[in-house]
Amino acid sequence: MNQTPNIEHRTSNIELPNDVGSFGVWRVLWRILDFVLAGIFIYAGALKAFDPVQFASDIDNYKILPWLVSVALAFYLPWLEIFCALGLVFRFLYRGALSILTASIVVFTLATIAAKVRGLDITCGCFGHASQNWSFPSHLATNLAILGALLTLGLSSRLRKPL
Amino acid sequence: MKSSLVGQAVILAALALLPAAGEAIYFRDKISWRSAIAPSEMVTVEQARGWGDTTIWIDARPEDEFASDHVPGAISLNEDRWNELLPQFLAAWAPGKKIVVYCSSLSCNASREVAHRLRKEAQLSDVFVLEGGWEAWLKKNK
Repeated sequence: MNQTPNIEHRTSNIELPNDVGSFGVWRVLWRILDFVLAGIFIYAGALKAFDPVQFASDIDNYKILPWLVSVALAFYLPWLEIFCALGLVFRFLYRGALSILTASIVVFTLATIAAKVRGLDITCGCFGHASQNWSFPSHLATNLAILGALLTLGLSSRLRKPL
Repeated sequence: MKSSLVGQAVILAALALLPAAGEAIYFRDKISWRSAIAPSEMVTVEQARGWGDTTIWIDARPEDEFASDHVPGAISLNEDRWNELLPQFLAAWAPGKKIVVYCSSLSCNASREVAHRLRKEAQLSDVFVLEGGWEAWLKKNK
């Protein structure tokens, strides 16, 4: 009787060659990217946390959600951004933080595109008053750049040691 | 930390609730959960009428609705013809006057937008939004 060998599949930890000096360089670059993204999200979150009334109005401008929900999100989302950014800095709940930030940037990008398609002339409110005069292409380019960076970190975190 | 991705996300989401709740309590008097307009920026029909001659009524509804009927003495100022109508309004305005903006009903946004632009672009203070808009005015004047 043939017995199937008990093969242990290791999918989470990819074995890396020992002599990859460049891997150390990449780790440094990824950490820098962690800090840059964290800085962006802490800045954006703090601006909105200091002025939740304005942020509620910015969310309401998308004409997607009822006012009550806009207010609740205006209080909640900035802190979620800040906590996730701190997660990137301290590598605490790292993958959860990356997932939330990626999901939030995707949702905001889609909402911005939907608003543009519906002919709404709005500010995204992503960076509080600082983003009030940004054009639609600037919003889109910024969001896509951040999304690209988040996805890069997400993929790179799979190559690093589990957190 | 080796907890699952979803578990990590849930922990972060829960952590963010704490400062958010604190901030909501701190800002409870500065933002309304029922309407996009802060309570301090809204007036009722009775309050606005109580101000007497110091009130300037602004009708933020479309031109045709203003033409069919409006609050006596109201000035039309809507976003469609903002640049054209604003100078007419400013000619009627004087320091110390209280500006009350209204649109069709409780759910309309035009009065809020016009009030916001008057504060921001014309740098005017004492700009209020009429609670319930034109509908509320009609009810009180039947």
